[in-house]
Amino acid sequence: MKPAPFEYDAPDSIEEALDLLARHGDDAKVLAGGQSLVPLLNFRLARPGRLVDINRIGDLAYVEHSDGRLKLGALTRTAALERSELVAEQWPILREAVRYAGHPQIRSRGTVGGSVAHADPAAELPTVLTALDARFTVRSLRGVRRLAADELFAGFLTTTLAPDELVVEIDLPSLPAGAGSAFVEYARVHGDFALAGAAVAVSPDRAAVVLLRAGPTPLRVADAERALVEGADEEAARLAAAAADVDGPRRALLEDVARRAIALARERTA
Amino acid sequence: MIGQPLRRREDERFLTGAARYVDDVDVPGALHAAFVRSFEAHARIRKIDAEPARRARGVVAVLTGADVADRAGRLPAGSIEDGVVADAGHPVLARDKVRYAGEAVAIVVAKSRALAEDAAELVEVDLEPLPAVVDVLAALADGAPLLHEQLGDNVLSRWSKRAGDAVGAFARAHRVVSRSFSIPRLVAAPMEPRGAVASYDADRDLVTLWTSSQDPHRPLAQLSFALGRPRDSFRIVVPDVGGAFGSKGAIPPEAVAAIVAAMELGRPVRWTEDRLENFLAAYQGRGLEADLELAVAADGELLAVRARLYADLGAYLFPTTAVPSHTTAMLMTGAYRIPAADVEVVGVATSKVPTGPYRGAGRPEAAYLVERMVDLAAHELGIDPVELRRRNLIPRDAFPYETPLGWVYDSGDYERCLDRVLELLGPEDGHARGVAMYIERCGGLWESASVEALPDGKVIVRTGSSPHGQGHETVFAQIAATELDLDPAEVEVRWGDTDETPAGVGTFASRSVAMGGSAVLEAARAVKEHWRQTGARTPFRAEVRFESPLLFAAGAYAAVVELDPATGRLTVLRVAGVDDSGTIVNPLLAEGQVLGAIVQGLGECLVEEAIHDEYGQLRTASFADYSLLTAAELPDLVTAFVETPSPHNPLGAKGIGEGGAIGTLAAIANAVAAALAPFGVRHLDPPYTEERVWRALHER
Repeated sequence: MKPAPFEYDAPDSIEEALDLLARHGDDAKVLAGGQSLVPLLNFRLARPGRLVDINRIGDLAYVEHSDGRLKLGALTRTAALERSELVAEQWPILREAVRYAGHPQIRSRGTVGGSVAHADPAAELPTVLTALDARFTVRSLRGVRRLAADELFAGFLTTTLAPDELVVEIDLPSLPAGAGSAFVEYARVHGDFALAGAAVAVSPDRAAVVLLRAGPTPLRVADAERALVEGADEEAARLAAAAADVDGPRRALLEDVARRAIALARERTA
Repeated sequence: MIGQPLRRREDERFLTGAARYVDDVDVPGALHAAFVRSFEAHARIRKIDAEPARRARGVVAVLTGADVADRAGRLPAGSIEDGVVADAGHPVLARDKVRYAGEAVAIVVAKSRALAEDAAELVEVDLEPLPAVVDVLAALADGAPLLHEQLGDNVLSRWSKRAGDAVGAFARAHRVVSRSFSIPRLVAAPMEPRGAVASYDADRDLVTLWTSSQDPHRPLAQLSFALGRPRDSFRIVVPDVGGAFGSKGAIPPEAVAAIVAAMELGRPVRWTEDRLENFLAAYQGRGLEADLELAVAADGELLAVRARLYADLGAYLFPTTAVPSHTTAMLMTGAYRIPAADVEVVGVATSKVPTGPYRGAGRPEAAYLVERMVDLAAHELGIDPVELRRRNLIPRDAFPYETPLGWVYDSGDYERCLDRVLELLGPEDGHARGVAMYIERCGGLWESASVEALPDGKVIVRTGSSPHGQGHETVFAQIAATELDLDPAEVEVRWGDTDETPAGVGTFASRSVAMGGSAVLEAARAVKEHWRQTGARTPFRAEVRFESPLLFAAGAYAAVVELDPATGRLTVLRVAGVDDSGTIVNPLLAEGQVLGAIVQGLGECLVEEAIHDEYGQLRTASFADYSLLTAAELPDLVTAFVETPSPHNPLGAKGIGEGGAIGTLAAIANAVAAALAPFGVRHLDPPYTEERVWRALHER
């Protein structure tokens, strides 16, 4: 399980990284925490001609609070979210979700931007960031784009990122006052990929219901969100599961995690 | 000190990273091997073109099946008592045909493993696909594609026995309970995968192999056979081993290929397999289809058992491949006084990696089949399952007890085990529960050991019995120190080198304390006797070969489970295990063995299943698709020992290494069946994933 040969660059700045991607993008892969990419390389399922290792770009790792928004540098380690007091106080669902992401070793290395760019519908971060109305800042030498989740996640392990683009920041708004939120997932074994998960946020006039592994991308279910605002919690869970493109056993799991996440979120409203 | 919970002296080196595994063995100048493996499950080899790989950077040699044929034949196919096995030993490298996806067809030797893997991709293997043979019953059907054409069918082993008046018993039975069962394949998943370093000294014509194996002497015999060389032309060294669970009892064909390469090249060759190779090419465990019938009288007396067992042996026979299903067959009367049996086992060739012993090795299958049948009979008769067991258990005054199938149980108190496990389980609390008995064939054959008293008062124990995680060093030192009235710290234990340690059979079948430990004890006694005669603690060395008949450990397991009918999610709340392993030499290590084995049994119940698709491709070839339990999944575990000493060895020991992996599945299967009964589901085979349970409940 050794990767096929590749060229390796380790730029020190975003600009240098963007330059490399502009020149080699079609043949290059960005290496961040490597928790998905390195296994794919070792299985030789991914065979990029070049790796652009962004781990030396210190500017890309930060957790900040400004303008009422949480701003996460793309190279922020998952463990940094898990340990952030700011996140724990104001976006507790984010912390709740990432604690399901693999094992501590994986979280200490894996990055927020890496998980986003990998776009695995079974991953916690894309799901919970979708529920939190995150905005994804993407840069290339050509310019800057700011994308919503449904503009970024295009399919199974697929985003709308161009080969020369790099995710540089994820930012998200505060939860509405009095909102309750919860993330619940089911995996057979602690640290395994979940078979079903749900991220729910609810406030008097707004709700978010997003399912994990219910389709090719995080699945936001508008019907369920409306039901939740109307206080029809059971109905919301049922509608959420009904929207998923899955078989019977998985639908039962999705309904179960949605119901539990809704109940927890409701319980946590002020 | 026998019976004292001495702590493991091995742990410091394992826990601080000071252990030395085969990949840590420093052999100067060693080259690295990678293997070209078949991507088809069953195919004719049209052509292998290794030339592009031979020209690749860093490559020293590429050898195909044809290239190794002069030096190496097949591995031995083994045997089973009173049964037949086919001449279908595993080839070193495939020739003419490949018979499972992952079978090695060429060895690439290069300056690094990475370069070897790069070059392995350049070997062009032209395969003509043949139909895969995945299902054992389909493999036995008329017209099924044949794995080994010369055999005329897909049968690799066969054994049958009729004992007592089974026909009469079934004719006069009040009820005949019938059920078919399916037990999936599992992978052993040792933390350290397989590996070996081969070195050849042409001047002495000596092959030295460092190998991650369960013991050194079985590899020695197997290599002698495969390479057609006398045993004294090998030195086998087994360093620290990071787990085996049965899967390192046969020398890997890859290690033989590495030896051939080392002999050809005159340079050492190292092969350390990766996890993918371990999934694809290390032999797997379990894999059994079974049809059972149980004849019962109106009062619950078990009159006779009939069993037809179809074992998924895979493409070839490793030396022990046919053994587990034979063990299952021999245990078809379980812990019960069933006077008649009619049992047949067919070992079936399939286009999958071979199976072989995996912790339990035929006994978990037996316990599962017999104990599910007893519960099904209890259900049909309206008798409490525990009461039905009590009426039929072999009573404590019946030992030695010869079963109708011919094994002699040496000692036991099965009802005491049952009583004790019910105590551990606690009172009924409304949750579904299951109880199961098990019998574990263990021990047997022989082991040898030497005890040497040095002039400085220290003692060296040399043992043919070799550890791969069990704690031999602690326990053998404990036994010798007790006999010689020494501090165990003054006893050094050496193992795992055919040049230094005395001959041995091996570490499997939960036999190390009873066999290896008894050899140590008797050698220590000889030293003590010498000291008595000389009147002083004089330097002396004694070596003993200890033999015994088979031993039979036993136990009772019980489980409490909770089922969520909406999702099919099963939660195991409690597992209670009672093992009668005879005299317990070290209760701390013994309990560790039980707990570890229960956890492996739980994995088998909850998540583990090696799944091959219709093309014979392994769908679960990484830990992303094949889960192992973590500490977070563990329920409440409670254990106890019942000690009925074996009369066959001076320690009174039986076996402790596997009981938890034997009893847990049967107990949980019975608990699951009890939980499913209110929904009209009578039986479900493992693993009890939420998907399987959901389908049983909602897709009937």
